[in-house]
Amino acid sequence: MAQTGVAVSTEQYNYDIIKKFSIMAVFWGVCGMSTGVYIASELAWPFLNFDTAQITFGRLRPVHTTLVIFGFGGNALFATSYYVVQRTCQTRLAGGNGLAMFTLIGWNIAILAGALTYPMGITQSREYAEFEWPIDLLIAAVWMVYLWIYTMTLRNRTQAHIYVANWFYLGFILATALLHTFNNLAMPVSLTKSYSLFAGVQDAMTQWWYGHNAVGFFLTAAFLGMMYYFVPKQAGRPVYSYRLSVLHFWALSFMYMWVGGHHLHWTSLPDWTSSLAASFSIILLIPSWGGMINGIMTLSGAWDKLRSDPIMMFMITALSFYGMSTFEGPMMALKSVNALSHYTDWTVGHVHSGALGWVAMISFGSFYHMIPRLYGMKKMYSEKLIYVHFFLATIGVVVYITALWVSGIGQGLMLRAFDEYGNLAYTFIESVSFMHLPLATRALGGAFFVTGMITMAYNVYKTIQMAKDVDQAGVNNIASKMAKA
Amino acid sequence: MSENNQNDPQTTGHQWDVEADGSGALEEFDNPIPTWWLWGFYGSFVICFGYWILYPVWPMGDTFTKGISTIEYTSEGVQKSSHWNTRALFLSDLQTGEESLKMQKHMDELSNASYDEILNDPKQMAFARAAAKGIFGDICASCHGRGGVGVIGLFPNLADDDWLWGGKIETIEKTIRGGRNGFMPSFKDSFTSEQLDQVVEFVYSLSQADADAAKAAQGEEIFKGQTGGCHYCHTKEATGMKAQGSANLTDSIWTIADVPGAADGAAKRAAIRAVVEGGVSRQMPSWSARLSDTQIKLLAVYVHELGGGQ
Repeated sequence: MAQTGVAVSTEQYNYDIIKKFSIMAVFWGVCGMSTGVYIASELAWPFLNFDTAQITFGRLRPVHTTLVIFGFGGNALFATSYYVVQRTCQTRLAGGNGLAMFTLIGWNIAILAGALTYPMGITQSREYAEFEWPIDLLIAAVWMVYLWIYTMTLRNRTQAHIYVANWFYLGFILATALLHTFNNLAMPVSLTKSYSLFAGVQDAMTQWWYGHNAVGFFLTAAFLGMMYYFVPKQAGRPVYSYRLSVLHFWALSFMYMWVGGHHLHWTSLPDWTSSLAASFSIILLIPSWGGMINGIMTLSGAWDKLRSDPIMMFMITALSFYGMSTFEGPMMALKSVNALSHYTDWTVGHVHSGALGWVAMISFGSFYHMIPRLYGMKKMYSEKLIYVHFFLATIGVVVYITALWVSGIGQGLMLRAFDEYGNLAYTFIESVSFMHLPLATRALGGAFFVTGMITMAYNVYKTIQMAKDVDQAGVNNIASKMAKA
Repeated sequence: MSENNQNDPQTTGHQWDVEADGSGALEEFDNPIPTWWLWGFYGSFVICFGYWILYPVWPMGDTFTKGISTIEYTSEGVQKSSHWNTRALFLSDLQTGEESLKMQKHMDELSNASYDEILNDPKQMAFARAAAKGIFGDICASCHGRGGVGVIGLFPNLADDDWLWGGKIETIEKTIRGGRNGFMPSFKDSFTSEQLDQVVEFVYSLSQADADAAKAAQGEEIFKGQTGGCHYCHTKEATGMKAQGSANLTDSIWTIADVPGAADGAAKRAAIRAVVEGGVSRQMPSWSARLSDTQIKLLAVYVHELGGGQ
């Protein structure tokens, strides 16, 4: 029975490409998150630099962010978006297998190239866009093809309406094309070096216009697309409110573009730019929560599944962290709060409550739903291991962000504390000493999370093996029947 | 694939991705938007409008809306008022902030006082310790260490009572202001290996008990004679000259050769020999352009007290 399912699916949809993207996502996830734990440990125990420039925090940090955001997150988005668009449009990916394969190979070569060039010091030094120009061009080409495949698949749909998840995916693809292009406008001077077309504060503003929208469209809108497919699918419930999904989609898409400036409060950015970003950040809170409410309320009527279904547990936890970090974000975008939080670990904790709590958790849940189906199986190899992963991941995130709240807020308070004479009470190094314990705890939280990721990799591997065995059994079965005949 | 499933009046009627057995369809309820969400959305716009009225926000050609919130501050003795902006806010904080005024009062007092007055006034000393701790910790500590003990071979110890360039408070101020260049030439090519050993033995004998007396005597001849000329800088008594920053070799305090840290006599001698062979070149940067007079004064008092003062 399993092999018939596979046969039908391969005919109807291009699942092969989704399998490959999924495996790459898991692979880069393990690499990227392990790198994260290593650099987190370097901050707590600096001897881990081993006096080697290539593995210092500054060089490895972009490797970590690139591997987790673009390697894990990007491949997960390619995989799920190709899955969702085919299934909700009831049509095969446009452009045939070749074009889809080009996006797979191009994208992953870009990530590998990034991971290899950063330690050598080849970087644009633009946060989350460190790729030098040749890699940027490759990404641009991949992205144009991705946009074309996605749009054409939508056009080829056999359904009258476009399902909500696809709006979010398409919005993410369009916005990312725009962001990637303008942030990376540069003049190459050699194969490995280029200079930005922007200078000074305009350059900083361009970087954070990109940077925040990478968060907004790549890490939020796209994963909301994932949420809008996999949560109702796994819960077996309709999406809570169609109207809410329309309103919060447009509100999110419109508001996000304005807020990048809040990363540059109290700098040489003009005050009006900074205030404008802060005010739009406030308006962004409620639209963000629209996605959370729509996800959580979709579960109403299926609350019992939260006790029995670990995939559902991943999804509800992801939505909770999404709600929490999208509340924290606008607060930190206020200038007065930002004066305390900026340049501290609070920011790092905040981004990880979004990245680990929301992005990774919703991806895990979606993968546990999707991967068995890709291979024609009913479920993963081990449900128990999904539970183990869930608890490791949840403990990891909670330990991680709590440690960085302590570290960040403590650091912020120390750097602004006055003594009885009105002098600054602490030296910088005293704040660094204070941060040692929270930073060590953060590395521990990260280690929990990576262990969960490795558990998932094992579970995925075993599931694929199991599917192969079932296929083989089917083949043998048919062969023996034919032999008898 | 039924496009309009009217069985459930609550949904929009659309269905997607129905499994072969008719299950698992994606649908959407047509629920109204939650009222609190909608009011929250409107509310955030209201807060925003408040923000836009108070602060500079919208670009208008080559200028921007200034907002009605103002900041008072003094610039070059003139009272000024401007729309809210971070530069004015900074000035106003410096001029009227509680902590800032407190610190300014102490700073003024200290900058008008002589070193004698400061050193003899426990109140001023308490302030100086507190204020200089931060400056020392952020600037000097990167070389001299948080406690000022330095690193043997690299950065002088400021917390002992041995001073290379002099420990009087005025001299310390001079050192901070102008920086210092510590230099001793290399004698690798001037001496034979045997002579090197002899000079080393003499220097060793000045502070250590187990020296070879005969060898040390030969070394002393080189040290005090024309061959070595060591005494030109270190003096015939080998006690060094503060004016040149040449070290006193007769005490057991070592700033370049790590004699106290060496395991045995041979290692101690090797450490001294390395200095004679290699020479010394150390620099302390000048801080007069980077620190204010009052900050330098604070540091001089602080460093003077660290080393027990002279």
